Amino acid sequence: MNRVWMIFLLGWVTIGMAAGPADESSRGSLVRIRASIQPYDQFRPWQKKAPFGLNGTGVVLPGGKVLATAALVENRTEVGLEKPGSAEKCAAEVEAIDYEANLALLKPTDPDFLKGFAGMGIGTALRSGDKAEVWQLERNGELLRNQAEILSTGVGRYPSDEAGFLVYGVRVSLPKRDDSYMLPLVRNSQLAGIMMGYDRDSQEGSAIPVPMIEHFLKDAADGKYEGFPTLGVSWSPLRDPNLREEVLAPKSGGVLLTRVNPRGTAGRAGLMEGDVLLSVDGFKLDEDGNYRDALYGPTAVGNLIRTRPTVGSPAKFHISRQGREMDLAGVYDRKAREEVAIPTLQYDVPPKYVVVGGLVFQELTGTYLQEWGEKWSERAPQRLVQLFTFQNEKRPDPEKKVVFLSQVLPSPITLGYLQLSGLVLEKLNGREVHSLQELAERVDRADSGDLVFEFTDDPGKLVLDAAEVRAVQEKIGKDYNLPALRRL
Amino acid sequence: MRFGIWKLTLVLLPFFAGCGREDGQLREAKKNVVMIEVTAQIWDYRLPWNPGTVSSSRGAGFVIEGNRILTNAHVISGARYITVQREADPRKYPGKVLHVAHDCDLALVEVQDPEFFKGTTALSLGGMPDLESVVSVYGFPIGGDRLSVTRGVVSRIDYNSYTHSGRESHLAIQIDAAINPGNSGGPVMQSDKVVGVAFQGFRGDVAQNVGYMIPTPVIRRFLKDVEDGHYDHYVDIAIRWMPLENPAMRKYLHRPNDGLGVVVTDIFSEGSSDGMLKKEDVLLSIDGHPIESDGSVRLDGQPVQLEEIVERKFAGDQVELEVWRKQALEKVALTLRPAEMFSMYENLYEEAPRYVLYGGLVFQPLTSNLMAGLLGAADLRLRQTYALFGQDQLYRETPEPVILSSVLPDRLNVYLGGMAGQIVREINGRRIRTLADVIPALESGGERTVIRFEGDQRPAVLKKSEVDRVMPRIMAQYGIKETSRTEVNGRRLAKGSFSEEKPK
Repeated sequence: MNRVWMIFLLGWVTIGMAAGPADESSRGSLVRIRASIQPYDQFRPWQKKAPFGLNGTGVVLPGGKVLATAALVENRTEVGLEKPGSAEKCAAEVEAIDYEANLALLKPTDPDFLKGFAGMGIGTALRSGDKAEVWQLERNGELLRNQAEILSTGVGRYPSDEAGFLVYGVRVSLPKRDDSYMLPLVRNSQLAGIMMGYDRDSQEGSAIPVPMIEHFLKDAADGKYEGFPTLGVSWSPLRDPNLREEVLAPKSGGVLLTRVNPRGTAGRAGLMEGDVLLSVDGFKLDEDGNYRDALYGPTAVGNLIRTRPTVGSPAKFHISRQGREMDLAGVYDRKAREEVAIPTLQYDVPPKYVVVGGLVFQELTGTYLQEWGEKWSERAPQRLVQLFTFQNEKRPDPEKKVVFLSQVLPSPITLGYLQLSGLVLEKLNGREVHSLQELAERVDRADSGDLVFEFTDDPGKLVLDAAEVRAVQEKIGKDYNLPALRRL
Repeated sequence: MRFGIWKLTLVLLPFFAGCGREDGQLREAKKNVVMIEVTAQIWDYRLPWNPGTVSSSRGAGFVIEGNRILTNAHVISGARYITVQREADPRKYPGKVLHVAHDCDLALVEVQDPEFFKGTTALSLGGMPDLESVVSVYGFPIGGDRLSVTRGVVSRIDYNSYTHSGRESHLAIQIDAAINPGNSGGPVMQSDKVVGVAFQGFRGDVAQNVGYMIPTPVIRRFLKDVEDGHYDHYVDIAIRWMPLENPAMRKYLHRPNDGLGVVVTDIFSEGSSDGMLKKEDVLLSIDGHPIESDGSVRLDGQPVQLEEIVERKFAGDQVELEVWRKQALEKVALTLRPAEMFSMYENLYEEAPRYVLYGGLVFQPLTSNLMAGLLGAADLRLRQTYALFGQDQLYRETPEPVILSSVLPDRLNVYLGGMAGQIVREINGRRIRTLADVIPALESGGERTVIRFEGDQRPAVLKKSEVDRVMPRIMAQYGIKETSRTEVNGRRLAKGSFSEEKPK
């Protein structure tokens, strides 16, 4: 969905530059990151795609760990660090990664590799109008400092996140240099953010701001990374006086909840569809869903509930329900994001599949759909798009995974089934199937007789003979050079 | 839906294969092929109250018995003024559409003045040409005003989509005659008989030397259908079936491996087979023609899809099926009718777009024309409702989904601007299933009108008294004369098979 961001970063072009003199304070705070990336092939789930490399400029933190973007190291086969000014290299491990927040924490495998690096401290949050610098490394290790200005602060899109986090809009003119897939945004020699996107035409980019980085590092510090909380609601602005009257909203403020996920933070705290959410943790919401941030001024509620609290911290809501105001309390969590039938983010996770006599079954994920390209919602099988996009309505039970027939490998027993694909499996031999694991087990248990597969869509039903499946399995694996007939 | 295919007229290349003879065919063609010039008005579904855009175009046609002129439906769609002109006669005669069949892209045009037909002999229809046999195509393509002829061979006889209607497939003949943008509706001839009407082709960047003509079985069907003075729609068996090629599937259905029969996988409610066929029925023969396991039957010695048997029949006709059901042979006689539940997917030409205007909110029924008009404004939910409407038989619940197609900005509705493209679920607590539900629902309820949409969209709320007050202002501002246009006229709609619920 969001791979566009990478393209911006890969396509650096020299359009003027503002280089500053090398600064001694930069030494010991930057390290080159060389990542070898190899995503899984969602259409051929038994294999990976061709590998490619990404190069970024990581920030060495006091204590010797390295901060990177998640996009730089997701689906990696190998991550290496390289000292600026020398070619000395060291492998690194990913200690914590947050694909939504686009942040990762790396640790060199050799604990002495970054010895002598003082690291860069985390600075303060910036406001729009503030000046900063984007740092790049020259080939010889010298520092290139590009003058930058913060244009905006607000909640915006991240490469792998639907809901949005705090993001800085940055104006900067960046020359084309290596290792620019991620770059530090620096102010007074302290880290102010991480550049994660850049559009060479407008010379504007986006940066992950310090509050996000601090939240991430704090979460990762105990070795058990939990992630950013979510509320699990859809809401609509409540400016329209007619609508306010209809939902019996108080005179001012608040937004209308149009959907509440019962598993999410809000749902578990007792919020309901149709409630008017007036304030969160004491922060009043205006009719457009903004609260007044001490630093940034009016800011979208997304920042209030995602960046500020941590998973497990208490949540307080003040609502109006049918004209009656009340307080509700809960605990921030991520269940609305994690307990789902169809997961969105599947980086570094091999896709599951089972081959049954030539029928290839997979479990639906957002990553599979994205494989259909930028226009996946038009090009992918519409039933799969529907289940994914409207899963709150269509598949609210997170235990009921979507198993589907993704393709048919021609085999002696799949005659007449060859063109079929994208069919959602409902039942095997009359009983519902809720996961690929379950499908595999039930196929294994069937020694003889028919395997009757029932699908949501036409042709509805396919039949294989269990004994024949058993007989051809090995041959299919051999004929198509499959490393395995399943991955669960 | 119209991927590179476009309507075209076929042209004769100004080149004769060596011989230069003026044979009987050419003489006949010169007498009977006519140029049809049309001024059409196309409704604008984004502004359904407007009379539409006027455009001119040119097509071909030819005189058949009864002093009628056969041409393509798309040549005369939306015609407001038609003139017909014969080769070598400078006079233009006013014409009038007698019958139009958008589903098979054919139409009959009449000319009142008997003078026009002096010297015409009427072309007669032949049969199906053989593969690789040579045919000549007559018409008036761009590049000149005189009759033109091209020659090609019959490359393929198969089902093909008829792009004019947007949803139909019928028998079509592919020929390799050179084809240029210009005039559809010209005859394709073999010796002195018409074997088809040229009607569509591919754009040059998709395929070259590919043209399509409507074969005579389709033409004859059309001419027979209008004998009663009225054109009915094609009938449809309204099922889905799957080839029965897989041995395990055959065994499961208790069929021997004899290469015969297809299995019914879905039956569309409200269609010809509703209540008559069941899932997992194996169709073994149709009107006595054995059905091969790939769904083909032999007709005049040629393999054609089993639907071709149904294609040649009319509303009210019967078709006999031999069905293998629950391990027993049964005979099922279906009374055929059009598949009205899919009419949403038909491109509309003559029908004026229907709408209801309320406080600047424009409600329209979901049609293929509206979808084309909404373009980017159609969100995923609407696109999916449209795409899955037939497949999921959504017409049972909502025969005609109603869309908030646009919001005409006014002080009254400033907070409703971004809501266009939503599917209306209910108005004032009343479920909206067709456009006809909208006005009664708007008139019901209390002082506020509450419009709810599918999905997790906020409701739209308007004060009735304010709407009444500003309607004249909005109508004057946007040049709208009528607050609604809801007559269905002759349009066929799904009936819907939901159980009527009592209003609360």
